[in-house]
Amino acid sequence: MASTAAAVPFWRAAGMTYISYSNICASLVRGCLKEPYRSEAAAREKVHFAVSKWANGKPEKSSNGLCLSF
Amino acid sequence: MAMAAFRREGRRLLLSPVSYNSSVAARSAILSDSELGPMGARSVSTQAVRNRMKSVKNIQKITKAMKMVAASKLRAVQVRTENSRGFWQPFTALLGDNPSVDVKKNVIVTITSDKGLCGGINSTSVRVSKALYKLTSGPEKETKYVILGEKGKVQLVRDSKNSIEMNITELQKNPLNYTQVSVLADDILKNVEYDALRIIHNKFQSVVSFLPTVSTILSPETVEKESEAGGKLGSLDSYEIEGGDTKAEVLQNLAEFQFSCVLFNAALENACSEMGARMSAMDSSSRNAGEMLDRLTLTYNRTRQASITTELIEIISGASALTG
Repeated sequence: MASTAAAVPFWRAAGMTYISYSNICASLVRGCLKEPYRSEAAAREKVHFAVSKWANGKPEKSSNGLCLSF
Repeated sequence: MAMAAFRREGRRLLLSPVSYNSSVAARSAILSDSELGPMGARSVSTQAVRNRMKSVKNIQKITKAMKMVAASKLRAVQVRTENSRGFWQPFTALLGDNPSVDVKKNVIVTITSDKGLCGGINSTSVRVSKALYKLTSGPEKETKYVILGEKGKVQLVRDSKNSIEMNITELQKNPLNYTQVSVLADDILKNVEYDALRIIHNKFQSVVSFLPTVSTILSPETVEKESEAGGKLGSLDSYEIEGGDTKAEVLQNLAEFQFSCVLFNAALENACSEMGARMSAMDSSSRNAGEMLDRLTLTYNRTRQASITTELIEIISGASALTG
């Protein structure tokens, strides 16, 4: 299988993971919907969780409630 | 005449336990404080037993309500869980399942609940995580925890706090959806280095049975290494790859997507198991409250009858002392 080293897709080269790429595509598709389905789909897009990273057995004080929408 | 007055007095005093007025309680001091029964034996006062009965009855109502709430939530999540099982099945068909893979960097993702009163599922998950930690540790090996949920953090912080990498809470504030879990998966992938990810959750078999399960996801490099060993991964080369992607590219995409899908299913299954466990825990606690209430009622009746009997004895002996 010939592997050209430069044949990386644009999004991978820009630093995105496959997951973020597919999420952006999904939100684009959701934006194309018409009204009753659009609000139902918007409910499926809500993201909320609170991350805290730990270092040396202690949580770092950054508790950002990640509330992203693509 | 005095006898009749005494009898009337006795009847009035007898009627007082029925009304709960505190003024009456002050008058009939016999009943409101702990009293000495026949032969000076102490018995629990009826007031204390009454209070206890009231609080146990309230607790029973609350646990019954919690059980119903959990049952309705369970119905909603169960459908989605069963539908989400189709997410990871193609991955297992393609890549196989390698729980016994031996790698240097392991990351254990433990999924627990944020809220309590759900029986023992969080403890079983934590126990399995600790066992897996022991299994995967060794010289030159590194194992870290990523904990989803408050309850797991509380238990793991006690003895493994130096191995905790991340902790995620408030996951169930909005109903679980794929977007949320995939953003979370992305976050985890960006922040940890791993050769193998092991997701520990409780798989929902039925309302009363939850199995702790481990799902293993290998990084693309590990997949390459394992494919040399043959088996399902070895036959990956027989697939033809369309488009301009290389095999390494495809494996990278697949690994990320697999993690996201498996995590979604695992989070849903754990949510289902949490609701089921809470249902059975609240059910058994309502039953226990009912039994406690029965026992307390018996005690209450016994105490009440004993106090009535002592009153009668006093009245009658007083009356006979006057006449005789």
